[in-house]
Amino acid sequence: MKRKLYNELVDTHQRYLTRRHFLQQCTLGLGALALGTIGCNGSDNKDPAEAMLEKISHYVPRARNIIFLHMAGGPSQLELFDYKPTLDRLDGEVCPQSFLEGKRFAFIRGVPSMLGTRVNFNRYGESGAWVSNLLPHFQDAVDDVCFMKAMQTEEFNHAPAQLFMHTGHARSGRPSMGSWVTYGLGSPNANLPGFVVMVSGQSAPSGGKSLWGSGFLPSLYQGVEFRSKGDPVLYVSNPDGIDRELRKKAISTINKINQREFEEVGDPETLTRISQYELAFRMQMTVPEATDISTEPEYIHKMYGTEPGQRSFANNCLLARRLVERGVRFVQLYHRGWDSHGSNDFESLDGGFLKRCHEIDQPMSALLKDLKQRGLLDSTLVVWGGEFGRTPMQENRGGKTNKFRGRDHHKEAFTMWAAGAGIKKGITIGETDEVGYAPVNGKIHVHDLQATILHLLGLNHTKLTYPFQGRDFRLTDVHGELVRDIMA
Amino acid sequence: MRNKFSLLISLAVGLGCLSQCSTSDHDQISYNRDIRPILNRNCLSCHGGVRQMGGFSLLFEEEAFDTTESGKPAIIPGRPKASEMYRRIVETNPEIRMPPEGNPLSQREIDLISRWIDQGAKWEKHWAYIPPDTAMIAPDPAEIEWAENTIDAFVWQKLEAVGMEPESEATAPNLLRRVSLDLIGLPPSDQLRRAFLEEGTMTYEQVVDSLLAAPQFGEHWASMWLDLARYGDSQGYQKDKLRRHIWRYRDWVIDAFNRNLPFDEFTIEQLAGDLLSEPDKNQILATAFHRNTNTNDEGGTDDEEFRLVAVMDRLNTTYEIWQGVTMSCVQCHSHPYDPFRHKEFYTSMAFFNNTLDQDLTSEFPRMRLFSPAQQREKDKVEAYLKAKRAEQDTVSEVFKEKLARFAAIQEGPVPVMEDFHPDSSRITRVFDRGNWLALTDTVEPDVPEVLPALARDTLVNRLDLAQWLVDPGNPLTARVIVNRFWARIFGNGIVRTVEDFGSQGDPPSHPQLLDWLALRFIHDHDWQLKPLLKDMVMSATYRQSGKVTPEKLERDPYNAFLSRGPRVRLSSEQLRDQALHIAGLLSPKMYGPSVMPYQPDGVWDVIRQVARWETSPGDDAYRRGVYTMIRKTSPYPSHLTFDGTSREFCVSRRIRTNTPLQAMVTLNDPVFTEAAARLAVNMAQHGSEPAEQIQYAYQRALLRPADDYRLRELIDFYEEARTHYQQHPELVEALLNDPEATEPKVVEPEVAALVNVANVILNLDELINK
Repeated sequence: MKRKLYNELVDTHQRYLTRRHFLQQCTLGLGALALGTIGCNGSDNKDPAEAMLEKISHYVPRARNIIFLHMAGGPSQLELFDYKPTLDRLDGEVCPQSFLEGKRFAFIRGVPSMLGTRVNFNRYGESGAWVSNLLPHFQDAVDDVCFMKAMQTEEFNHAPAQLFMHTGHARSGRPSMGSWVTYGLGSPNANLPGFVVMVSGQSAPSGGKSLWGSGFLPSLYQGVEFRSKGDPVLYVSNPDGIDRELRKKAISTINKINQREFEEVGDPETLTRISQYELAFRMQMTVPEATDISTEPEYIHKMYGTEPGQRSFANNCLLARRLVERGVRFVQLYHRGWDSHGSNDFESLDGGFLKRCHEIDQPMSALLKDLKQRGLLDSTLVVWGGEFGRTPMQENRGGKTNKFRGRDHHKEAFTMWAAGAGIKKGITIGETDEVGYAPVNGKIHVHDLQATILHLLGLNHTKLTYPFQGRDFRLTDVHGELVRDIMA
Repeated sequence: MRNKFSLLISLAVGLGCLSQCSTSDHDQISYNRDIRPILNRNCLSCHGGVRQMGGFSLLFEEEAFDTTESGKPAIIPGRPKASEMYRRIVETNPEIRMPPEGNPLSQREIDLISRWIDQGAKWEKHWAYIPPDTAMIAPDPAEIEWAENTIDAFVWQKLEAVGMEPESEATAPNLLRRVSLDLIGLPPSDQLRRAFLEEGTMTYEQVVDSLLAAPQFGEHWASMWLDLARYGDSQGYQKDKLRRHIWRYRDWVIDAFNRNLPFDEFTIEQLAGDLLSEPDKNQILATAFHRNTNTNDEGGTDDEEFRLVAVMDRLNTTYEIWQGVTMSCVQCHSHPYDPFRHKEFYTSMAFFNNTLDQDLTSEFPRMRLFSPAQQREKDKVEAYLKAKRAEQDTVSEVFKEKLARFAAIQEGPVPVMEDFHPDSSRITRVFDRGNWLALTDTVEPDVPEVLPALARDTLVNRLDLAQWLVDPGNPLTARVIVNRFWARIFGNGIVRTVEDFGSQGDPPSHPQLLDWLALRFIHDHDWQLKPLLKDMVMSATYRQSGKVTPEKLERDPYNAFLSRGPRVRLSSEQLRDQALHIAGLLSPKMYGPSVMPYQPDGVWDVIRQVARWETSPGDDAYRRGVYTMIRKTSPYPSHLTFDGTSREFCVSRRIRTNTPLQAMVTLNDPVFTEAAARLAVNMAQHGSEPAEQIQYAYQRALLRPADDYRLRELIDFYEEARTHYQQHPELVEALLNDPEATEPKVVEPEVAALVNVANVILNLDELINK
C-alpha cells in the first residue's frame, strides 16, 4: 500500500513539473515560475490556478483522502461504546464531590445524580470491541476500526468545541482542517472542489459556516457546501434557456477576448481567469454527475439505506464515497441532533438519541464496507466523533431534575473512532475510569488527533503554517503530539 | 520546498537591488536597516518576548545589554570578539553555535553584526515608533516633467534609483472608469462620462471633485470601514440572532464619509463619543462601532467569559485599525517580536473593561436613536408641519401625508457604549498566560511604554485613549490610516501589511512618501479624507496605464515601485453594483434597514433558524451591496465567493483570489443574469444592427467602444447564439418568457442571443478588474 501511494506521489510530482513547464514555456517565460508561486500583480497568493493542483507533501502520505463524520451536538459515548457497568449500578446515586470540584459544566448546577444506561453492551468481532445494541450494523465493522476512548477537548459548549475540533481554536476566524489540508496538498481532481461539506439532520451545526471557513487562508480553500436541494453547488447550473452548447461558446468568446486583453495589458491574473472559466465549465459537468446518486445500483441503495432526493446522513455517506472515488481530498459530514440533555423528547436518551443512532448506524457501516470492497479504505481515512461527550451524571439545569433522561456536555473524556488508511485495525486505545468520567490511560487531546490526521495525509503539523498578523499560524496552535498508538 | 525556492528567486529578482545596494554601500551600520532583520529571522523566537533563553532577549534595549544568566552581558559595545553573541554565531562546533537549528548565519550577516558591535552597538527604535520628521523637505515636483504633484516626486526618486520608467497615462475612458470605481465604487454617471469624454466640458480635476462630492462616495468607503468595524446585521456565534437596529451605525459611517468628518473626530466619536461632555445623539450612535463585537447566546455559555472576549476584541481591533499593532499576541505573553510587554495588554484592555455590556442577548445597554438621515428627514418634515400649522393649513392631502411620514420615522434601540461611573469602575487584572480564570495583578488603564505617554495620567478613560490616538505626536495613527486609503486606491499599501506596522510587517516601499502623506493628512488637510484622496488620484503615479511588460513584471511583480497604474479585481460590492448600474437596474435609494436581495433557497438552512431570508420587495432587491444584510455565520454567498468577509472580526485586507466559483457567480447568479437580461433589452432599444447593439453595451460597460477584434468576436458569438435559438425555440421561451414579468415580453431569438452577449460582456476580465 505504501508503495502504491509513493508511486502516486511521484506521478503527481511529474505532472506538477510538467504543468509548470507548460506555464513556463507557453505563457510568460521564466518570470511565470516565480510569479505562479508567489502571486501576481496584487494578489497576495500563489497563482490560484495552481494553488489547487496537487502539491508535494512533507513525507509519504498514508492516506490520500479523508472523510470526517462529525456528530454535532456530542453523542453519548456511554450509550454507544464506553461500557461502564459500575455506572449502571450507581444510577440515581449522588455524584461524588471530587467530580465537581473546580470543574465547569454547561448546565449542571449544584450536585447532580449519576445516570446509568439502559442499553446492552456486547463484544463483537475478533477484536472483541464493545458496542451497544443501538448500533446493530456497526457491530460487524469493528474489526476495521480503532476506538479512541479517552478523547479530550477544552471546550464544553457546542460552537466553541466544534470550532476547536475543526479549526484547532475555540473562536471563529481560523482556517478549518479541510482548508489547511487543501492549502497544503491541493486536490487530486481539479474538476471538483478539494474540500466538500455536507450537512444533515435537524438544523445546523452550532459553529455555523465558520466550521468550514478558510479563516485567514485565501477563500479558495474554504469548504464548498454540497446542498441536498437546488443546485448541489451554488450557481453551478446554467440559467433556464442557456444550454451547455451555448455556454461553451460563451466561455470560448470570453476567453478569446481575455487572451487579447492579456496580450495588450500583460496581467498574469488574466491568464488565471481564463483557466478558471475553463475549470468552471468542467465543474458544471462534474458536480452534477458526482452528486447524482440515482445512478447507483439497487444493492448499494439497500446497503446504505439511501433514497435519492432526501436530505439524509445516508445519502451524504454515499456521496462521500462517490467524491472520494473521484479524488476529492477532504469530505466533511455533519449530522446534527445529538445534544441529549433530557430537556425534551428530541434531546432525550430515550427519544431523539435513539433516532440519531438509527440514522447513522447502517450508513456509516455501509460506508466502511463499501470503501473496503472498492479498495478505497486503504487510501481513505474515516474519522467519527462529536465535539465532546456526555457526563456520567444526569443533567439538572437550574438545579432541577429534567423530565427526560439526559446528560450534560463533557469535555474530560469521550469516544471517537477512526478507520482506514494508516490506522490500526480492530484495536481500542485509551480507557476511562469506572464511570467513564475521566481518562485512566491513553488520553488523546483534540490537537493530538489533528496532528495525527495531518501526519497520515503526509503533512507535518508543525510545518503547515501560514503567516498572519505577525506570526505563523497552524492548525494545532503550539500543541499537538502524534498518536503513534493508533497508526498502523 | 519548490515554493520556497521560487520565492527566493523572485524576491531576489524583485527586491534584490534594494536590499543589496542599501547595506554594503554604507560604512555606518544601521540597527534598523541592517541588524534587526537578521535578528528577527534568526534569534527572536528564542531570545524575544515569548522565550528568553539563557536570560538573553533582544526585544528591548535594556534587556539586550543586560547581564545574562552567564553573569555577563551578551553584547559588549565596541568589542565584538568579547561579546558572547558574536562568539556564538561564529562558533564552528554545531553544538554551541547559534542559531542551534538550521544554517549558520552567512558571512555577510556575521560581518554586519560584528561591525555593528564594533561601531558601538547603537540601538534604534523600530521605524514605525519614531514619529515622522516634521522638518522633512519633500522633493519638488516642479523639477520633474512627469510629476503632477509631490507624490510623484517621491515615486520618481525611487524609479530613478532603481532605473525604471513609469508607464504612459491611461486612456481617458480607462482613467475615468478607474477613478470613478475608486472614489464612489461605481462606474461614472452618463453625465460625467459625456462631459469628460465627449464634450470635454470637464477637466480631470473637476471629475475628481465631482466624484468626491457625490453621495455614493460615502457608500463606497463605508464598505471598507465596515470590514474594520466588523459590522454585520447579527450577533454572531451559535444562534446568530439578527441585530435589527444596528444599521443606523452603518448609516452613521456613510454619512460621516459624505460630510467629510475629519478623521480625528471620526475616531473620537466612535471610540468614546459617549464620554464627550454633553455628546449629541449622533456621537452616541457612533459608539455602536465597538458594539459590533459578537454576542454569544448559546445555552450554557458563561456571560463573563464572552464579555471578556468582546472586550479583548475591542482592544485588538482598536490597535489593529489605528496602530497597526498585533496586540492579540500579547494576551498570553510578551510580544514575540515587538516591544510590547504581557502586562501592557491588560493596561491597554483596562480602557475597554469598564462598559456596562455583559454579553446579554438583549444587547444591553442600548439607546433609542435615529439614524442621521432619519434625523434630517424628521427635522425637515417637522419644519414643514410647523409652518403649515402656523398657517393653520392642516387639512390638505399633502399635510396628511407628511404627518403620516413624520409618524413613520422611528427610533430604534441601538447597542451603544456606556461606562460604569468612575467610582464603581471594574477592576482589571492581568490574566496569567492569557487565561481569564487565572487572575493576577491589578492594573490601571495605560498605553504601551514604547509609544508616547498619555496627556494626563490619572483617572483616564476611553476618551483619553481616543484623543491619544489622534494626537499629532502619535507616530503610528496617521501613517497607518493614510496607508489604508493608499492601499485601496493603489491596490497595495506603501506598507503592504496594512494591518501590521511591527517588525514582522513589511517595511515601507517609500518611507518618506508615507511620512509626507501622514504629515500632510494631519497638518495640511486637518485629518480630512477627501483632500487626501484627491492628492492620490491627481498624481501622475495614479494616472499611469495598468499595462505591464514582462520585464517589469519580473522585476517588480507587486508593483512596489509604482511604475504602472493599479489594475486589480473589483470587490464583491463593486462587482454587484457595477453590473446593476450597467443594466440600469441599480436603485439609487440611500440609507435605511439592510435589505435581502435574491438569495437561493436553503442558504440559511445550515445555520440556526432564528430568522428567515425573505427577498426584499421592489427596488430594495437592487440596492448597492453595502446595504445587503450580513448574517455573520452565513454571509451573502456571492459576497463570500469574492472574498468579502463574514464581519465576525476586524479584517484589514481582503485577500484577492481568482477561482472557478467566482466565474459561476458572474455567469449564473441571478443578479448577473438579470442584469444581462435587462442590458439585452436596452441593447435592442439602442440599435437595429447587432454591431450597434453590441457597441452600446460594451461602451456602457467600459466607456469605450469595442475594438475590431472584440467586436468581431462578439458579433460571431451573437450570430452563433441566434442560430442556436432559431433551432431551439423552446430555449427562447425558457430564457425570455418569465411568467412573473410585468413588462411586455419580446420572445425572439435575437433578444435571446443579446442576453448571451450581455452575459459575456459582464464576464470580461477588463470589466472584472479596475
